[in-house]
Amino acid sequence: MVVRRHSRMRGLVTGLLALLVAAVLVPASVPRGAGAAAPVTLNVYINGDTNIFDLWSKSLLPAFTKRYPQYRTNMVGLMHGNGWQGVLDKLVAAKRASRTTDVDLWETDPSIVQQGMADGLWVKLTDKLVANLGKVPADKIAATNGFGAPYRGSSVVIGYNSQFVKTPPKTFDNLVAWIKANPGKFTYCDPNTGGSGQAFVAAAIYRYATAEKYAGNAYDPKEESAWEPAWKLLRDLQPAMYNKGFHPNGNVAVLQLLGQQNIWIAPVWSDMGLDFSKRGLVPKTVKFEQISPPLFGGDSTVTLPSFSAHLEGALTLLNWLLTPEAQQLVISQVSGYPGVDWKYMPAAVRKQFADVAKPYSPLPNAKYLADLKLLWHDRVAAGQ
Amino acid sequence: MRGAGLRQGALGLALVLPPLLVLGFLVALPAVTAVLATLTPDGGGGPTLANYARVLAARTLRADIVFTIGITLVSVAVVFALSYPLALYLRFSRGRAARILGVLFVVPLFVPVVIASFAMITFLVNHGLVSTLLYRAGVRAFPRLVYNGTGIMLTQVWVNIPFAVLILGAGLQAIDDALIDGARDVGAGPLRTFLSIILPLNAVPTMIALTLLFIGVFGSFTIPYLVGGNAPAMLGVTMTNYLTQYLRRTEAVTIAVLAFLIASVVGAVYVASVSRRERGAA
Amino acid sequence: MSGVLWPWAAAAFRRAAGAAALLALASFILGPLLTLLVWAFAGTWLFPNLLPEFSLRWWAFVLGNADVGKAIRMSLLSAPTATLISAVICIPAAYAFARLEFPAKRALLLSFLSANAFPKIGLYVSIATLLYRLDLMDTFTGVVLIQLVNTLLFMIWIPTGTFRGINRNLEEAARDAGAGPLRTFFQITLPIALPGIMVAGLFAFIAAFDEAQGTLIVGTPNHMTMPVLMYNLVLSYPQPVGAVFSILLSLPSLVLLLFAQRYLRAGYLAAGYSL
Repeated sequence: MVVRRHSRMRGLVTGLLALLVAAVLVPASVPRGAGAAAPVTLNVYINGDTNIFDLWSKSLLPAFTKRYPQYRTNMVGLMHGNGWQGVLDKLVAAKRASRTTDVDLWETDPSIVQQGMADGLWVKLTDKLVANLGKVPADKIAATNGFGAPYRGSSVVIGYNSQFVKTPPKTFDNLVAWIKANPGKFTYCDPNTGGSGQAFVAAAIYRYATAEKYAGNAYDPKEESAWEPAWKLLRDLQPAMYNKGFHPNGNVAVLQLLGQQNIWIAPVWSDMGLDFSKRGLVPKTVKFEQISPPLFGGDSTVTLPSFSAHLEGALTLLNWLLTPEAQQLVISQVSGYPGVDWKYMPAAVRKQFADVAKPYSPLPNAKYLADLKLLWHDRVAAGQ
Repeated sequence: MRGAGLRQGALGLALVLPPLLVLGFLVALPAVTAVLATLTPDGGGGPTLANYARVLAARTLRADIVFTIGITLVSVAVVFALSYPLALYLRFSRGRAARILGVLFVVPLFVPVVIASFAMITFLVNHGLVSTLLYRAGVRAFPRLVYNGTGIMLTQVWVNIPFAVLILGAGLQAIDDALIDGARDVGAGPLRTFLSIILPLNAVPTMIALTLLFIGVFGSFTIPYLVGGNAPAMLGVTMTNYLTQYLRRTEAVTIAVLAFLIASVVGAVYVASVSRRERGAA
Repeated sequence: MSGVLWPWAAAAFRRAAGAAALLALASFILGPLLTLLVWAFAGTWLFPNLLPEFSLRWWAFVLGNADVGKAIRMSLLSAPTATLISAVICIPAAYAFARLEFPAKRALLLSFLSANAFPKIGLYVSIATLLYRLDLMDTFTGVVLIQLVNTLLFMIWIPTGTFRGINRNLEEAARDAGAGPLRTFFQITLPIALPGIMVAGLFAFIAAFDEAQGTLIVGTPNHMTMPVLMYNLVLSYPQPVGAVFSILLSLPSLVLLLFAQRYLRAGYLAAGYSL
C-alpha cells in the first residue's frame, strides 16, 4: 500500500518536473536580437486603460525605437485601478535603500506626480533637459509643478445612444432632469475606479461651488462644506441610476453598459468613447457631446524618476513624445488631445476635434480629489 | 529527563526557525513597524489610540466591518454545509456518480480567482446565462445576484468548496473503516455514526477548514472588488481604497490592523481548542 | 400494501434527490465556466438569445499578445519553486509543532496566521526596501520569496493537523523495532501523512500562483507573472476578449489539475487503508 502510494507520488512529481522543463524550454516570446552595441532597454510603466497600452506597445514605442535604434523598450502595463500604488511603493523603497530604479519613464496622472513630490522622486523638467517642452502650454506644466510633462489630454463628455435619446441634454441641469425622467437608463462609474465617474461627481460639486477654487495647489478641508448640496443632489439621483443605484467598476464597464444598450446616457472619457466607436465596440448610434458647464478633463503626464538607471534615454524618449510625429500618433490611435499646444497641430486635426475638444473644467487637485471619492462613498453610496 | 526535554526544545525551535525567519522579515517586521505608525499621533508625542478611535467613529467603516463579518460567516456556513456532505459522500461511496463528483468539485481550485469572479459575473448578471434561461422559461423577475453581498457570497462558495472538501476529505480518509463498521454492527444508524464517530474523529481537520475559510474569506480583496457592490464594502476593498484612492495611509493601515485582530481571534480560538484536545488526549 | 411499497419508494426518492443534488452542484460549478467558454467563441451575444453568433475573431486578437507567453512561463517556474521550498522548510516545522515540546509553541504556531491574515497592502514599501537592500528586486528569487510568504500558513497548519492526527503508537512501534527517528519519519509518518501534505501542497501552489500585488512590485519589469496581467486582460477588454484570455490563463492550472487529479482521485479510491 505504502509502496503504491509512493509510486503515485512519483507520478505527480514527474508530471510537475515535466511541466517545469517544458516551461524552461519554451523560448521567450520576445526574441533577443543581436544588436551591434548593446542597446539600452528602457522600462516604460503605463497607468492607463488597455487602449493606452495598445497606443504605447503598438504605435509609440515601435516608432521611437525605429528612430532611435540604440534603445529597446519594455512596457509594463499596470493593474486595473490600483497597480500604480505598487509602483509608487517601489520607487519610495528604492529611494530609501539608495538604489537606482528600473522605472525609467512612467505615464501617469498629475495627482500621482503630486504624491511622489514630497519624497523627491522626480526629475524637475526644463526646456534645457527636454527641448520640446517649450511647445507645451505653461499652465499645463504648472499643474504638475514641473515634475511631469503632459503628452496627451482628454476630457469627460456625455455619451448617448441617439436611437433612444433624440434630443440629448445640453446642460448639467438638463441632464439631471433627464436622469430623473428616465430611471435606470443612466449611471456613472464608482469614482474610486475611474475618472469618468469622478467627472460627474465633480460636475455636481461645481454646480454649487467654484471649480477653480479646488484646482490649484491650496487645500483646506473646510472648503468641502460647500459640497453638501451636491451630495444631496447625487443621493436623490441614486434611485434613478441603472439597477437602482449601481455604479460599475471602471471607465470600460460603463462603456460596455452603453454598448449593450443597458443604459442610454453615461459620462465617458472622450478618447475612450471615440476609440470604442471607431472599433465598433459600441453601436454606431452612440454619439458624444460636451455639456455646459463642461465636465472636467485633464492631461496624462509622463514623469521621470530622478534615480532611474537610464535617465538619458528616458529624456530622449520624453522629448520625442512631444514631437509632431508622436503627437500625431496620440491623435490617430486613441483620439487623444495633443499635449503640445493645438497651434502645433495641422488644421485638419483641429477641425476633426472641434466637437469634443471644447474647453473643459479643471480637475480638482490630488487632495480634494481624494476627499471627493471618500465623501462620495460616505454620503452617496452608503447613503448617510 | 530534563536534558532530553531541553534537547527536544532546541530541536523543535531549530526546525521551526526557517519558516519563522521568512515570516519575520517579510511580514512580522514590516507589520510591527506599521502598527507602531498607527499608534503614533500626527503631531508627535506618546503612543495613542486616536487613529483607532477615529476609524471606529466613522459610521461607514463600522458598517463595512459588520458587513465583512456577516458575509464571511454566511459564506463559511454555506461552504461548510455543502462541503461536509460532499466529503462524506466521496469518502464512503464508490459508484460512478462519486467518481464524476470527485473530478468535478476540484475544478474551481484550478481557476484563478480573477477569472472565477469574471466567470461568475457573466453567469449570474442580469442578461447573463442564468437570467436568459429563466427568461426563456417565462420567468420575468430576476433577482440581483452579482454586484452585491449575494454575489460575493456565491463566488466565495464557488471558489472555496474544493478547499473545504479536500481538507475534510483528507481527515476522513484517516478514519479507520473498522471503527465505522463496528458502529454499524452495534446498530448505529448513519446519523448516529456520523455524530458519535466521524465528527469527533475529524474534529481537527474540521476546525482547520473553518479557521482557514474564515481567514480567507474575511481577508479577500479580488472577489469583493469585482463582484461586490459600491457600499457597504468588505474591508479588503475599503482599506485598498483608503490607501490608493483616499490617500490616507495611516487610516488604511489602522483598518488593516483591526482586520488582523479580528482574524487573530478566530486563529487563537483554533489553536487553543486544538491544544486543549491534545491535552485531553494525552 | 404501503408497508411493502414504502422502502422501494423511499429508495427511489433518495436516488432522485441524490441525482437532483448532483445535478444542481454540477450546474453551479460548471455553469460559470461554460458561460465563459461560450463567450470566448461569441461574435456578438445579445439578450435574450440562448446562444451567440459564433466567431473566432477574438482569438486572433488575443494570440497576438506577446506578454502572455512570457508571464505563463514565469508563473510555471516560480509557483512550483515556491511550493517546493515551502514544503522543505515547513514540513519539518509542522512535525515539530505536532510532536515536540518547545517554548512558545502555541504563540509561534499562531504567528503564522499573520502571513495570510495581516493585510499586506500597507506593508509593501517596507518589504520592497528590504528586498532592494538584498538586491532581490526584479529577480526570480525575489518573486519566489514573495510567493513563499503566501504558502507558509497552508504548509504549516495543515501538515501540523495531519501529523497530530497520526497515532503515536505506530511511530513508537517502529522505534521499538529499532528504526531511527529519521527512518521512522520517512517510512511510517510521512506516508500516512501524505494525503494531508498533498492537500497542503496544492493550496500552497495555488496561493503562490495567485499572488499578484507583491509580484507587481518585486517582479516588474522583467519577472511578471500571470495574475499581474490578468486584471487588465480579463477586465479591461470587451467581454469575449476577457473570456478568451480567461481560458488561456486557466490552461496551465488545468494541466496541473490533470496531474493532480490522478493522485487526488486515486487517494480517495484507496481510502480503505487502516491505521
